[in-house]
Amino acid sequence: MAGSQTALREANRATVLDTIRRYGGLTQVELAAATSLSAATVSSIVRELQGAGAVDVRTTVRNGRRALLVTVLHRTGLVVGVRIGTRHMAMTLADSAQEVLVEQTLPLPHEHRADTSLDRAALLIVELLERVGSSPEELLGIGIGVPAPVDVATGTISVPGILRGWDDVPVGEVMSRRLGVPVFVDNDANLGALAESRLGAARHFQDSVYVRVSHGTGAGVVLGHQLHRGFAGTAGEIGHVQVDASGAVCLCGSRGCLNTVVGVPALIDVLRASRGPLSLRDIVTLASEGDPGCRQVVEDAGATIGGVVAALAISVNPQCVVVGGELAETGETLLAPLREAIRRRVPLNHIAPLEVVGAELGARAEVMGAVLLALEGTTLLTHRVDHPDRDRVPG
Amino acid sequence: MTTHQGDWTMALDEEARMTGENAGTRQPVLAVRQVTKRFGAVEALIGVDLDVHAGEVVALVGDNGAGKSTLAKIVSGVLQPDSGQVRIAGEPVTIGSPAAAHALGVSTVFQDLALCENLSVAANIFLGRELRVSASGPMDLARMELESTKILRDLTVGVPSVLAPVRDLSAGQRQAVAIARTLTTRPRILVLDEPTAALSVVQTAEVLMLVERLRAMGLGVILISHNLADLRSVADRIEVLRHGRNAGSFDAATAAPEEIIAAIAGATRVAMPSWARR
Repeated sequence: MAGSQTALREANRATVLDTIRRYGGLTQVELAAATSLSAATVSSIVRELQGAGAVDVRTTVRNGRRALLVTVLHRTGLVVGVRIGTRHMAMTLADSAQEVLVEQTLPLPHEHRADTSLDRAALLIVELLERVGSSPEELLGIGIGVPAPVDVATGTISVPGILRGWDDVPVGEVMSRRLGVPVFVDNDANLGALAESRLGAARHFQDSVYVRVSHGTGAGVVLGHQLHRGFAGTAGEIGHVQVDASGAVCLCGSRGCLNTVVGVPALIDVLRASRGPLSLRDIVTLASEGDPGCRQVVEDAGATIGGVVAALAISVNPQCVVVGGELAETGETLLAPLREAIRRRVPLNHIAPLEVVGAELGARAEVMGAVLLALEGTTLLTHRVDHPDRDRVPG
Repeated sequence: MTTHQGDWTMALDEEARMTGENAGTRQPVLAVRQVTKRFGAVEALIGVDLDVHAGEVVALVGDNGAGKSTLAKIVSGVLQPDSGQVRIAGEPVTIGSPAAAHALGVSTVFQDLALCENLSVAANIFLGRELRVSASGPMDLARMELESTKILRDLTVGVPSVLAPVRDLSAGQRQAVAIARTLTTRPRILVLDEPTAALSVVQTAEVLMLVERLRAMGLGVILISHNLADLRSVADRIEVLRHGRNAGSFDAATAAPEEIIAAIAGATRVAMPSWARR
C-alpha cells in the first residue's frame, strides 16, 4: 500500500510539472483546476518541487487578489530562438541549460514584410517572458532563423530577391535595438543543421548535411562539428542548383533552380487541377493519409532533391544526411526516394556508409538551432564538441 | 480515453475528405447567390455572391458599412435577405432564425462572444444545450466537463481548466471557449466576427492557430476582420466587399496586400511595387 502511495505521489508530481510547462506559469489555484488535484495536494507538491529546485513560486495578482504563481525554475539567463518562415513564425523561450520554458507559433501572411513581422516578433518575445514570470532583464540573447542566406556578420540577408520585402533589412540590428540584447541571425537550414548535429540525429557524426524541405529547399553543412556557412552565408543553398535548364526563372534570377521544381508553389500548381487549391499543410496531411496524387508529388520531389543532395554529398563527404522541414513530416514518402537517389549516385566507401535519416528534433530543429546559436553567441554555452576523432561511425 | 478523443471531429474529417476527393469539381458547402438587403435608403448588400468550401477559410474584408456584418447576419439567420438565394451543400435553404442556422450546420461567434462571466468554461460550452443524465433528468456535469476537455484538447487550446469561471480567462482564451461552444452542434460552417480584435500578439497567435485547426478539421470558416495581416495569415481566399457589392476575390497564397487594399478603397489603378508586376 505504501508503494502505491509513493507511485501516486510520483505521478502527481510529474503531472504538476508537465502542466506548468504547458502554460508557462500558473497560480496554485489554476494548477489545482488544471490537474484535477485538490488544493492541498497541489500545495504540498509545489512545496516539494520548490525544495528540490524544480519550480519557482512568487506572489502575483490575479483578478485583484493575491495569488501564488508557479513557474519552472530556470537557470539564470534566458534566450529566445525564432524561426521566421514563409507562412509561420515559431518561437521558443529556453534557459541556459536548453530547457524549453514556453513555445508559440504565429501564422504569417504571404510575402509578409519585415517591419510588421519583426514588430510582432518583439512583442511576442516580451509576452512570452511575461508568461513564464520573467522580466526582459533576464533575456540575454536572441537567435533568429530566416529562409534565405544570411551574412552573419551584419545579420542581413546576403542574396537579394529571395525573401521579398526583407532585402537590406539589418534584422539583427532592428531586433537588438528593440530588446537591448545581442541578436544572432542565420539561415534556417543552417540552424537546423546546428541543432541536429548537437542534439539530434547527427550528434554522433562529425560531418553531416541537414536538408530542410519546406516552402523552399535549403541545406546546412556541418564539417568537423562546426557549421560551414561560406563567406557570404550561401553554402548549402541547394534550392538554387539548376535542375531544369529550360525551366522557370527563380526569385534569385537563375533559371530552373531546384526551388522552381520542388518549391511549394510548384507542388501546389501541379496538384491544382485535380485537388483544388491546397496549402503546404494540406499536401503533408493528404500525402501522409495516402492520397495517391499528393504522395506521388512528394515522392517525385524527394527523388529530385536526392539528386541534388547527392552532388553535395560527393563534394563534402558527410557521414550523415538529416532531412527536416514540413515535407519531411510525410516520413518515408519523401525520405525513401530521396535516399534512393543519393544511394544511386554517391559512390559507396568502406569507411562510413552514408546514412540518410529524418530529423530527430522534427519541426523544432530550427528553433532549437536558434536557441543554440544565441547561447553560443552569448558564450552561455561553454559545451562544445571538439573531439574530431571521438565519434567514428560504428560499423 | 485518449484513443477516443476526437470522435466527434472525425465525422468532420471524413466529410471533408469525401468532398476533397472530387475537389476539381467540388461543391461549396455554402453558396450565397445574388443576395440583396436594403434598410430604407441604405443598400447594405446588392447582388452579393459568396462561396465557402469544406476545409476552406474565406476572409471577408471591407470598410465600415461595406456589408460584412450584414452578410454574416444573413448566413447566421439573424437577418433575412430581400432577394437572392442561400444554398447549403447545394440545397436552397431559408435561414429564418439563428436556431434554423444551427440546425443547418451554421454557427456564428459574434464579437461580444456572449459568454456568462460567472459560469465555468464547461457550463459555457454547453450553455442552453446542457447534457442530461436522462431526457428529463438532471444535468450530467461530469460528461459536460469531459466533453469540454475533449473539445478544447482537440483544438489544442490553452485553457487551464474547464471548471474555471470565464471571468478568470484572458481575452484569447474566451475567444477559444466561444469557438469551442459552437462545435458542440457539429457545424459545417463557422462564422467568426473580428476574432482577433483587441487581442495581444500571443493571444492573436493562439486564435490564428485555432483557425488553422478548424480548417484542418474540415470546417468551412468565414472570417471577418479589419486586420489584413491576420486575415492574410490564415485565409485561403479573401473576398472584398465595398458599398454592399462584391469588389474583388483574391487567392491569399498569391495576392499582394496592395491589390487587396486597392479593392477595399475602390482604387481603379493599383500602384504595384516593381516586383509584383508579372
